[in-house]
Amino acid sequence: MSTAQNMEKPMSAPRLYGLLAEFSDVQALLDAAVALRKAGYKRWDCYTPFPVHGMEKAMGLRPSILPWIAFTGAMGGVVSILALAPLCNAFLYPMIFSGKPYWGLPGHIPMAFALGILGGTVFVVHGMFVLARLPQFYHPLLHSERFRRVTDDGMFIAVEATDPSYSPSATTELLKKLGATAVEEVRD
Amino acid sequence: MTSVTTTQAGSMSGEFDNTMDDGVSKAPLVLGEATYREITRKICRVAEAPKAPKAWYVAFAISTALVGVLGAMVTYAIATGVGVWGNNSPVFWGFPIINFVFWVGLAHAGTFISAILLLFRQKWRTGINRFAEATTVFAVVCAGLFPAIHVGRPWLAYWMLPIPNVMGVWPNFYSPLLWDAIAVGTYSTVSTLFWYVGMIPDLATFRDRAKTRRRQFIYGILAMGWRGSARHWQLYERTVLILAGLATALVLGVSSTVSTDFAVSQLPGWHETIFPPYFTVGAIFSGFALVLALAIPARELFGLKDIITRRHLDNLAKITLVMGSIVTYIYLMEFFIAYYSGNGYEQFAYLTRIMGPYWRMGWLILFCNCLVPQIFWFKFARTTWWLAWPAAVLCLVGMWSERFVIIITILNRDFLPSAWHNYSPTYVDWLTFAGSIGLFFTLFLLFCRFLPMIAMCEVKAILPQAHGHGHEDSAAEAGH
Repeated sequence: MSTAQNMEKPMSAPRLYGLLAEFSDVQALLDAAVALRKAGYKRWDCYTPFPVHGMEKAMGLRPSILPWIAFTGAMGGVVSILALAPLCNAFLYPMIFSGKPYWGLPGHIPMAFALGILGGTVFVVHGMFVLARLPQFYHPLLHSERFRRVTDDGMFIAVEATDPSYSPSATTELLKKLGATAVEEVRD
Repeated sequence: MTSVTTTQAGSMSGEFDNTMDDGVSKAPLVLGEATYREITRKICRVAEAPKAPKAWYVAFAISTALVGVLGAMVTYAIATGVGVWGNNSPVFWGFPIINFVFWVGLAHAGTFISAILLLFRQKWRTGINRFAEATTVFAVVCAGLFPAIHVGRPWLAYWMLPIPNVMGVWPNFYSPLLWDAIAVGTYSTVSTLFWYVGMIPDLATFRDRAKTRRRQFIYGILAMGWRGSARHWQLYERTVLILAGLATALVLGVSSTVSTDFAVSQLPGWHETIFPPYFTVGAIFSGFALVLALAIPARELFGLKDIITRRHLDNLAKITLVMGSIVTYIYLMEFFIAYYSGNGYEQFAYLTRIMGPYWRMGWLILFCNCLVPQIFWFKFARTTWWLAWPAAVLCLVGMWSERFVIIITILNRDFLPSAWHNYSPTYVDWLTFAGSIGLFFTLFLLFCRFLPMIAMCEVKAILPQAHGHGHEDSAAEAGH
């Protein structure tokens, strides 16, 4: 965001974040991702305007634990309502409604169904934000004028300077060799 | 009928007929210049133009005026008491519940498109899913209003929650009314979250294109710092898939639960096992009619004919036809079961529907919901706006009438003729209903103007150039 650009220049030189390389199409990006992974890079990421099929494989990303988070939330919702209903209607104020038992599963299924879905949804959405570390309103890449096109038509790979295999010249060379149309340094 | 290959699509404009595949290649879903940049430009143009189209201002003025009417009528009803409505004994439910069931039903198309069509990998959904989801959220807002005012003393609505209190009473967890409150509360939460999560990447596009500080700030906050990282996309896609699975169960569950308000009672005409699927199908039917009725003017007004193509209208009309036909089947089955059951009360309820005091409404339903959608068998009707739009609006009229007839004709004929009482809505009822339509359109028009109306990231992902052509490592993944 432009907040950073409007700020006054800090006293010391800003820390180097890494290299930002732009690619022209999806296939070049996928190929570059495979090559970077095979070259042993660890701290890098691809940036695209839309989800790219096959990117997880190309980058070697492991499946997330999101399904388990959703499952936990859904079960939590089901269990909580199946506990709350008898707590209210059988223990705190025992009452017979139209001749039904104090606690009868069939009459509680519709609520358990709805709350299972509610629990799963709330957990999976919050789980996504936590795992993705969002909201994150500051990121060094957002300094780059070029990088703004990532939400339009730009496709990028950023290699962080903290990567053990990182070297200013060799990594730039590698990215160019992989078909990057432009490579630039990004500072914090 | 012309067919084209994808490569020719670049020269095709929005009026091009892409409703049929030629058997060799798929007809394109995105017409015009189908590049990433062009899609961003076309969709952002709606929200970035300094002024909206004139029609937008006219529609917005009418809608907000109706919201004013809604506020006045709700205030009047609450300040005076529910006696200002036409509700009586035995018709205690009246307009508020008719409108509640109607609006909940309208919400269903958005969830159907974004959840069930996603699981079925229907790529055409990307052109319309975002604004269909918006109709869901806004229709649920309108739906929620009516039970809230129908309780008569809305400031005591918290009594429905299980809160420890000095009276020591708790909600009855066996009551369908409580199931209903929980189901609709879940529906509004899930559909809002689904809508918002899906919108984050597009809000980031708005942020990055923003020219003013205010836009940068507001869209920046809403986009949460999204930067298109592959790790984020992985989580995003997984989340959307899980939400789609959950919402699929929900779209079938919500109207089913609403129908238990009726089916669990002991009244002839309501106490039927067919009610859950009946309400769900009717809901999806009216929802698709609504999306069709909104898509036709929206693509015209905002210049989105290349993205909401004729194929989209064609498909929406086809689903409306299918749902309308299932609704017709259920009507026939209800009448047949009433006859076949040999139960006099049941037979009386159904004869009252078409021969009683509200026979006009009864026949209007059969005309609007059974006959009108049948014109969608013809492709000409599906893709011609001056036929498809009135047909969709008639379907909406029909579904509202259905809710009216289900509620009123059963309640106004009680078991004892001495308790019979006809129902007629007052001007407060009518103006409150008109006000809720105004509320819906106010929210919808604001959404069209200020939020990404089409899921840009999803439309880009269905372009042919958005797929790699297979790789040693990614071939298995990209091959499907």
